[in-house]
Amino acid sequence: MNGNSLQQVIPPTHISVKAGFVVYSHNDQERKIIILDKGELAAVDSTQSPRKVMFTMQPGDLVGVAALLEREPFRYDLEATVDSEITVVGEDCMESELKNIPLWLLAVIRELSARNRQRKENSRNSRAKNALISLAEFCRHQKKDEPYPLEGLIQEFCWQTKASAPSVKEDLKALCRRKFVDISGPTVTVTQPELLELFADYLEAQEQDKPWPPLQLTLNQKKALIRLSIIEKATPQDPPAWLTFFQKNNIALTAADWIKMQGLGWFEKPKENLFAPDLKKIQYFLLALRYEINLRGTI
Amino acid sequence: MKLSAGDFLCLEGDFASSLYIVISGALVGSCSGQVSTDAKRFEPGSIIDVFSLLENAPREYTLKAEEDCEIQVVDHEQLKAILDEKPSWLRSIIEFLIRRNHIGEENKRKSDLVQALPSLLYLFSGLLKELNSNTVPVSLLSERAARMNGSRPEECRKLLRMLQELGVLKIQDDSVQVESRELIHLLYETLRYRALEHKVSPNILSMTDQMVLTVFIKLSRQNKAPLRNGLSAIPTSELKAEAKKSMHGMTLTTRTIGSLVEKGILTPDTTLDFHAKLEQSEFFFGDFDRIMDLLELNRIFPLLDKKLVE
Repeated sequence: MNGNSLQQVIPPTHISVKAGFVVYSHNDQERKIIILDKGELAAVDSTQSPRKVMFTMQPGDLVGVAALLEREPFRYDLEATVDSEITVVGEDCMESELKNIPLWLLAVIRELSARNRQRKENSRNSRAKNALISLAEFCRHQKKDEPYPLEGLIQEFCWQTKASAPSVKEDLKALCRRKFVDISGPTVTVTQPELLELFADYLEAQEQDKPWPPLQLTLNQKKALIRLSIIEKATPQDPPAWLTFFQKNNIALTAADWIKMQGLGWFEKPKENLFAPDLKKIQYFLLALRYEINLRGTI
Repeated sequence: MKLSAGDFLCLEGDFASSLYIVISGALVGSCSGQVSTDAKRFEPGSIIDVFSLLENAPREYTLKAEEDCEIQVVDHEQLKAILDEKPSWLRSIIEFLIRRNHIGEENKRKSDLVQALPSLLYLFSGLLKELNSNTVPVSLLSERAARMNGSRPEECRKLLRMLQELGVLKIQDDSVQVESRELIHLLYETLRYRALEHKVSPNILSMTDQMVLTVFIKLSRQNKAPLRNGLSAIPTSELKAEAKKSMHGMTLTTRTIGSLVEKGILTPDTTLDFHAKLEQSEFFFGDFDRIMDLLELNRIFPLLDKKLVE
């Protein structure tokens, strides 16, 4: 892997320039690296009026690496402010030199360059892992049944997440198909914000290849859930009392079911081994069962 | 160097001055703060730890051989030997690329933080409403922020600390507490307005408006009279007299108070004729809490941008 070969190296060009000489114009098609050996160069933005000096270069400074290696345009003109000496590394020169360095060094240069490119690309894109989960999370905090201008909502979401408007439109349609939001003409209304939370949780579990507990219940567990949801005022009881309660209601639960129910958070933290149902959690599971079809998107 | 499947090549954070190139086989790299499913795979041709070679930076990953591997190690001496025999501009280019990487990294970190703030405020405001409480668990907030825009937990913590320094909230153990829920919403709305409308939000008040409201609040606090429809009512004469005292001798006129009336922050007891004297209204009404929130917003907002880029 040393990559040494007998390729001919094209040397860089050394030039002496007078003050005022334009070393590089932003219109130049040719990409090159310019290294200042002596004197001073100024990068000038000539598109502005009056022309603005963006920065000056001192001996040892160089420009054009991004233009040459990352194909990024160099937006300024480069002018000598005093008589100067420069070294110009053109594409041919660079290529010939790179052919004569070990492959690993070439890979290092490429890696450094690729990291910059990748970082720039990443900073333009949304960081959200799943656009639909992200949109569901956003929409669930909108006021229920209040119509919002569709474009305004998309714009606000894109500002927060850097998502692209066309993809947000498609995702909104996906939420609309599941009846979580309603799009009519230029307005969008969040009709079921509570389901959007469930939907985001469901998608997240799917994405991580994990089973989503609300859709993994046995028939008896489902019956127990429904029974718990209609208790008007639940007095905290110990586990045997709860099992007896379910038995009286013709729901045969085992100790394993009880442990599972506890694990699912259907009961609040016990005080002296007395358990009271967590109505919020029960409502969450109940909604998931009731709207399973919407969540799965199989309407 | 040869590795058998399951062997560790290096540990994250180890200081070294060499890089690895995978010749055959595959390695798996894991690093702290990374979800296990995100483990990075390095296949033949992959180059690992460029910065360890170039500037003795700590190892980025803990590397484990997924299968039998052959690895080439390139150390700093080899790099130095090559660069010594090459033209100096090649070294300059490499140094330039390293500098650019560091600047890019720093800029990305800052822009990620700036980008994370609006969604954090949006979610925070939403969760305060949803939980109907003035306290939200930090873990819940950062979990939601990660879900919505990929913010990292450390970014959330940093932003919360920043807001704490500005007096917006208090971090206690694993929860954040606010005095005013509305303030979080106002902060978000003001940022949103600036970003999407490209204008200064109507919530941002002039110095005069802020001074008038400060006078109004001062008098409301002193006022023993009961609230009218939940609003503080201050007699115009008192408002004028206190304004003269607190606003360095400035006379409160219909014009001075006009913008606050137009924005609906203060309401006169009669329809205000902007060409008539201020005394045309006997009282001015205002929502005490809302005015407090607005004053707080105006104190914080100018400091926010500065804090973000610190």
